[in-house]
Amino acid sequence: MGAILEIKHVSKFFGGLAANSDVSFELAEGMIMGLIGPNGAGKTTLFNCITGYYPPSRGEVIFKGRKMNGLEPNKVCKLGMARTWQKVRPLAKMSVLDNVMVGALCRTNSLKVARDIALEQLKVVRLDRKADFLAGGLPIGERKKLEVARVLATRPQLLLLDEVMGGLNPAESEEIIQLILDIKKHGITQMVIEHDMKAIMRISDRIVVLNSGEKLAEGSPEEIVANQAVVEAYLGSEH
Amino acid sequence: MKTILNKLGNNRGFSPVAISLWIAALAGLALFPQFVDNPYALHVMILFFLSTIMGESWNILGGYTGQYSVGHAAYFGVGAYTTMMLMQYRQIPPWLGMWAGVAVVMVVALVIGSICFRLRGPYFVLASIAVAEIMRLCAVNLKDLTNGAEGILATEIPPFKIGATVVTDFLSKVPFYYIGLSFAVLTIVATMLVQHSKLGYYFQAIREDQDAAHALGISLSFHKNVALLLSAGFTSLAGSFYAIYVGFIDPPTVLALDISVQIVLICIIGGIGTIYGPVVGSLVLVPLSEALRSNLIAQGIFKLGLASEESGVGVFLKENLAHAHALIYGILVVVVILFMPDGVLGFARKLFTARNRGNA
Ligand SMILES: Nc1ncnc2c1ncn2[C@@H]1O[C@H](COP(=O)(O)OP(=O)(O)OP(=O)(O)O)[C@@H](O)[C@H]1O
Ligand SMILES: [Mg+2]
Repeated sequence: MGAILEIKHVSKFFGGLAANSDVSFELAEGMIMGLIGPNGAGKTTLFNCITGYYPPSRGEVIFKGRKMNGLEPNKVCKLGMARTWQKVRPLAKMSVLDNVMVGALCRTNSLKVARDIALEQLKVVRLDRKADFLAGGLPIGERKKLEVARVLATRPQLLLLDEVMGGLNPAESEEIIQLILDIKKHGITQMVIEHDMKAIMRISDRIVVLNSGEKLAEGSPEEIVANQAVVEAYLGSEH
Repeated sequence: MKTILNKLGNNRGFSPVAISLWIAALAGLALFPQFVDNPYALHVMILFFLSTIMGESWNILGGYTGQYSVGHAAYFGVGAYTTMMLMQYRQIPPWLGMWAGVAVVMVVALVIGSICFRLRGPYFVLASIAVAEIMRLCAVNLKDLTNGAEGILATEIPPFKIGATVVTDFLSKVPFYYIGLSFAVLTIVATMLVQHSKLGYYFQAIREDQDAAHALGISLSFHKNVALLLSAGFTSLAGSFYAIYVGFIDPPTVLALDISVQIVLICIIGGIGTIYGPVVGSLVLVPLSEALRSNLIAQGIFKLGLASEESGVGVFLKENLAHAHALIYGILVVVVILFMPDGVLGFARKLFTARNRGNA
């Protein structure tokens, strides 16, 4: 299978700080790519560069063979790439259902169709009972689920999940893991940022490790666990 | 028909109660001039309609889309000026001129939008104020076009005819009453249609979180500009209506910062981003401003015996309360923001639901 996403020599500078420097890798269609690295390694920055939140300072992002540099986030979403936010961004004064409908309206002009899609996505993340609640009032675990339901409603081919398990209890995390595996079964490619090593090893087909903005290693979960540099730079800092 | 009603109602459709209320209110308002011919009562009603139109117009951009423009005087004034200039200098009747006003205002709005929408939050607010001030200065200084600070006086409004029959000669307040009522209903219905459409969902998403909305496939520039065009177009109608009703405009009365602030206050006091917020805001503000104008507050204090008319305090109140508009508005806004962050309407809803819960 071909690469759905190619990241070529991407760098991003904030003043003098290189939050990403010369990062390159490819994502094969249908796989789950884990993106790990210590705090401040540049994972979220890379997501921002890929989805057009801001353009990379150097390098290019190629999605489905198309160069994405400078494309606005809404166009990127329309092309089939959607992301969640590490710091969740619920549309607070709208209902849970309305939040997901906003996502669904990316593919339809009909409120009725959007409502059906949204209800279906809410069922998938088991949030349908809270459909009429205000999004701003949900506890963190449910806000994370809402993020996922909302991007799924945009019918993406590539899904970028930024720490959707952060702050969740083990039961909730397990639910999300099952959800991610389910999404994979539907043929949606995913890139997942996660600090929970057990989870990331379980779900990922491949893993890229970032450290201080640079790509430190790339490989299968087994290769990454056995990689001495990774153990020192990343795992070593935690254990 | 049913789908139209569904669109007009809330998410669950238009309830029979809401339909009945609407019909009753419309019938009452339509018959009002048949039973009341007191010109002052009609005048206050016309001001109420005008205020509602202005509030509903701002609400589309400020309330639903979250772009707090404090420069809507620009659209109000440009609409008013276009209509008046066409009538006085080109003999184009106002019921045609006001649509030209809408067109001119929309062009102006697109220019303003392209400048201001690059900015967010307080910077957008400041830019909107600045641009409106530029429009005011243009009106003051482009004397050949606008007659500068002297303003424009409507010498005569041509009678409105269909064929050879004169429908109205605009000599009484009644035609203005019905025009105001129609425009107020028009803006309310437009707001309902917006709220229950894809556009409304996108506007509100932008209000809640621009970046999240952007990432969900919403073009920020396109939707902000659509909201602005709708909002500015309706504000322009309000301006034209005001100009023809009062018969005189000059820069301080239609292009001043006062107007911009007034428009925002209608919504803040009633409830931002709700269909009926501006109606409620107008119900509070119009009587208040009339009471201040005719010194009703001082009279009331004397009647209640809180102070005597001859005492030093009484004389002070009598002389100053009528001119204390700004102060009293200021106090009102502070009270509303502190105690009713969702406006009077939001506050009433909360009281209502709390009471219902208490009963259950
Ligand atoms: N907008 C910005 N302006 C300046 N510096 C930034 C900006 N965004 C990120 N940074 C810096 O870039 C570096 C990478 O940040 P980033 O958020 O990408 O890390 P991360 O890998 O996602 O970390 P975490 O695991 O904590 O989420 C950090 O040093 C951060 O302080
Ligand atoms: Mg991060």
